[in-house]
Amino acid sequence: MDMHAALALGLPLGIGVAAIGSGIGLGLIGQGAMQAIGRQPEATAKIQLAMIIIAALAEALTIYAFVTMFLLQGKI
Amino acid sequence: MNMGLEFLARVRKTSAWLGGVLALMAATYVSPLLGVAFAAGGVWSLCNLQLLEKLVVSMMGPVRSTPQGIRGAGLALMGMLLLLAAGAVLLTLLSPMALLLGFLLPLAVIVLKAASQLLLGSRLWGGIVNHRFRAAFAAVAIAAVTWFALGALTSATAENHPAASHAGDSAASAGAGAHAADPHAEPAAEGEHAAPGGEHSEGGGHGFTNVVALIAGAGHGTAWSAFLEHYEILVFSLLVAALMLLVAFLASRNPKMIPSGLQNLVETLVEGLQDFIVGILGPKHGPRFLPFLGTLFLYILAMNLFGLIPFMHSATANLNVTVALALTVFVYVQFIGFKELGPLGWADHMLGSPRDLTGWLLAPLMLPIHMLGELAKPISLSCRLFGNIFGEDMLLVAFASLGIAMLPFQQVPFGVPMQAIFYPLVLLGGFLQAMVFTVLSTIYILLMLPHEHHDEHGHEEAAHHAH
Repeated sequence: MDMHAALALGLPLGIGVAAIGSGIGLGLIGQGAMQAIGRQPEATAKIQLAMIIIAALAEALTIYAFVTMFLLQGKI
Repeated sequence: MNMGLEFLARVRKTSAWLGGVLALMAATYVSPLLGVAFAAGGVWSLCNLQLLEKLVVSMMGPVRSTPQGIRGAGLALMGMLLLLAAGAVLLTLLSPMALLLGFLLPLAVIVLKAASQLLLGSRLWGGIVNHRFRAAFAAVAIAAVTWFALGALTSATAENHPAASHAGDSAASAGAGAHAADPHAEPAAEGEHAAPGGEHSEGGGHGFTNVVALIAGAGHGTAWSAFLEHYEILVFSLLVAALMLLVAFLASRNPKMIPSGLQNLVETLVEGLQDFIVGILGPKHGPRFLPFLGTLFLYILAMNLFGLIPFMHSATANLNVTVALALTVFVYVQFIGFKELGPLGWADHMLGSPRDLTGWLLAPLMLPIHMLGELAKPISLSCRLFGNIFGEDMLLVAFASLGIAMLPFQQVPFGVPMQAIFYPLVLLGGFLQAMVFTVLSTIYILLMLPHEHHDEHGHEEAAHHAH
């Protein structure tokens, strides 16, 4: 397998694997936040703020994979 | 008389909306110049209608043979002369075919409106519409006939002169890679786009065409076009900044105690931001950092959403812009750390605030960790914003080209605007990313400020998670 074929196969796969990870993470964050809101609806604003921050951090990992794909895309 | 005037007003409204949409579609899918010509023809025709109406009203209406009526008639006649001159100039500059089509649009709207009024009153229409299955059948029949007629029509024109008609139009703008949608979906124009596509592919794929690229393509080879082509992103980010300055100026030009209009809107925005940021930073520090953080939020939001305007581009879909923003935040946060904590306090913060023996033993370990953490902040901020906005742009481009490719007869110069289903997502994403950038910057500032133990545990909690 030459480098081009390896890149063409690996880049989308890499994004997919990263997306699985951060998808699981986002699901857990959402679950936790929803349960917290359900338990304490008056703290919704604070919980949402923290949820968005952590969701951004979890989602960033997929974005890194995405950016990497675009950086390496020219080499295919 | 009144009835007729009302009819004309409705015609004007319909033609303006329809013409705008059609011109945008022509500009997006065929060539921008064609869209401009179509819009110009429509505007010309609408002006003509307006002047005619004015002339008729001042000659026949209640003001006839008064000085006011005569003056109105004279003005209308002069306007028509001017309009004729403008039409001549337009005909020499733009494509006559598109101009003519634009000119015919209001007339077509009049005819269709009149026909539909006749049709809606007729017995046949009532017979079709009042029965559910008959109505559905009629709708399906009309759709099928249109579909096959379009196919037959386009294949017939394609056999007569294969794609020569729009090859000429797009040749004028081919230098800029002018087709807004993905050129690979249009086999007729693929040859022309091979070269410009290659130039633009440094960022990966190529997105929608934008105004700056078009202007640069119009003056191809000159110094300023090279400048525009190279600093396209800069032009867009400065344009957004200028627009925001304009809005701020207009809103605060004539401040009133009881605001209305623009001032009201901007005050609502600023107050919302103030509540949000003071809620995180606390009442002591919040107002101090509000100008910086609020500007950051509004600027990023405006840049994110700017790309949704046709023929505009999100400046934040470029790593250079987001890195600049993130570096600004980084430098500002370090500056605040130095100013608030003092050099010794800053070093103490970097060492992990050692207070006992264990702390001092761990300090050599904490120093590189803190340093790396500080350096990772701008990288993650910039990559997150860039990746999200760029990814959304690419999504829209992919679905726009899908919309072109899904029409079976390839010679049709338009596509289904498939990307429209993602507009809500892109709107939400643009807002969310601007907010995330601002919240994270706020929390980086919060972490640098001297820690006071006030009762806002929720925010402390969030701050620690973000670290």
